[in-house]
Amino acid sequence: MALLKREEWQGIVRDVDWTLKYVDDEAVYPEWHSGTGKVPRDAWQKWEESYKVSYPDYVATQREKENSAYAVQSALKRSKAFETLDEGWKSATKMHFGGVALVEGMATLAELKMARFGLSPAWRNMSIFGALDEMRHTQITLLFGHEFVSKDPQYDWSHKAFHTNDWVTVSLRSLFDAMMTGANAVDMAIQLPLTFETGFTNLQFVALSADALEAGDINFANMISSIQTDEARHSQQGGPTLEILVEHDPVRAQWTVDKFFWLSARAFAALTGPSMDYYTPVEHRKQSYREFMEEWIIDQFMRTLSDYGLKKPWYWDEFMEGLDIWHHSLNMGLWFWRPTLWWKPVAGVDEASRQWLNEKYPNWETVYGDKWRVIAENINSGNMEATLPETLPWLCSMCHLPTCNANYGRDGKWRVRNYSLKHNGMTYHFCTKGCRQIWWEDRDNLNHTTVVERFLLGEIQPMDVPGVLGYMGLTPDVMGDDAHNYHWASSFSQSEPAGTAGGR
Amino acid sequence: MDNAVGPILRSSDEVDQVVAAIYDDNPGTEIEVTDRGAYVRIHASDHLRVTAESLKRHLGPDFEIRSLEAMMSAFAGRINTTSDAVEWSLGPAKAPVG
Repeated sequence: MALLKREEWQGIVRDVDWTLKYVDDEAVYPEWHSGTGKVPRDAWQKWEESYKVSYPDYVATQREKENSAYAVQSALKRSKAFETLDEGWKSATKMHFGGVALVEGMATLAELKMARFGLSPAWRNMSIFGALDEMRHTQITLLFGHEFVSKDPQYDWSHKAFHTNDWVTVSLRSLFDAMMTGANAVDMAIQLPLTFETGFTNLQFVALSADALEAGDINFANMISSIQTDEARHSQQGGPTLEILVEHDPVRAQWTVDKFFWLSARAFAALTGPSMDYYTPVEHRKQSYREFMEEWIIDQFMRTLSDYGLKKPWYWDEFMEGLDIWHHSLNMGLWFWRPTLWWKPVAGVDEASRQWLNEKYPNWETVYGDKWRVIAENINSGNMEATLPETLPWLCSMCHLPTCNANYGRDGKWRVRNYSLKHNGMTYHFCTKGCRQIWWEDRDNLNHTTVVERFLLGEIQPMDVPGVLGYMGLTPDVMGDDAHNYHWASSFSQSEPAGTAGGR
Repeated sequence: MDNAVGPILRSSDEVDQVVAAIYDDNPGTEIEVTDRGAYVRIHASDHLRVTAESLKRHLGPDFEIRSLEAMMSAFAGRINTTSDAVEWSLGPAKAPVG
């Protein structure tokens, strides 16, 4: 018997909806959960996903994906592949496991919220698949990380990280609570599937898989690129939502994308940037972080936004300048505050790496070379205390990342600048103009306090570095130390500062 | 390439066959294939398509078009999927199906 084609029956099945008799629409789809705003309620009937899937197809395809991912993992379990991986690369995966696994769990709840409060049956149907996808991602990420716990206790943070108040976790929690936990369905579809999943996750899950494969981590490359095949589908909830929002409330559409584009860019500069330009061994790097950003975000994602009628964000110049600065500064910060991390940070500045960095980023030596040289000289003279933190970095009140972005000022110098504002008698400090502007526009939001603010409010005791490390849940067997036992520092004693051609 | 659209496939044994199927389904179209090791971009300007028929011809009669999803970790442009073909393009879908 010939089966009907999906197009011949899916519309009827998918668009099943209730005709409400005993309650009104607002009771079932309340504004604070659904978020239609200025969009007329019936406008959502036009919502039409372009990446269609039926339940039988979904189940069959997911089964194939799972069989394939676990077959690779099972085969590699019996090999010595893990032992041959560079310690720096392993850190990139520890950062990923701890930073991502339970965010995938949060995303399950986010998809379920859209499955309940999404404003069209087609949308709610697609969100159900999204929820099943995110459940898979939580499980596979935890399982792959768990495999290595017996070899290295830092992998235990694959699950633990999100249950602590580590500053990296607090930063990510702040981002994802705003993106997922606190958002209504309409905003969430713009923030999560569209801005985050159609745009930025491609960097960590597809682009980084190119480095992973080169670094010999077939297992990790296989896992992340398998996950992204789900994302490519369920992220398409964003497009139809954006199309309707642009038609009825373009200001809200532009603002929501701009805001989460910026906040995502800050988070990826902290996690993906160092992974690509420092943690991946230099001989295995496919492209620089900047080149991957140009390929996936500045070219591909911006074309998508333009296709939906959106403009470049107001902060575009500051964002572009940040591509040469943010992740380099954050890598130095991650390394310097290494006891606060659940992985072993990589300096990534031996001679070959510095040469590569200067080729890819012509200002690198001018802005960062002398600072790493001072650190290396302290290491080479045995003055390790000078390379360890005695206090805390100021954390940005918006992105919760250290305020450490150097920029070139009118005074002709590269300086780390602070952007502050006063509100209700408090002075708030920000890493960039973009973060300050977003915070100001959303100043009535409930924001997480940064770990530094908690410290100053007396919530962290005793008020010293050991007290802060204890508050973050870090124990001596886990807290980070240099991934390569400081061997890189000796390259500075044998070389003069690199040329600054192209630098300012 | 201006207005590049098309799939980005994970590294697998079947990538070459999918590329061949795409060439078959887009005669006269300039197609750019960029291999980054773990992923391969297959792009054309404005529009690209692949049919179930061509995929079966290159990957075997048992290959189902839904399985393309397991190979496609991303794509550029907007997608439109039916039981017979997958298309990538820019702008709203001309005639929504489903």
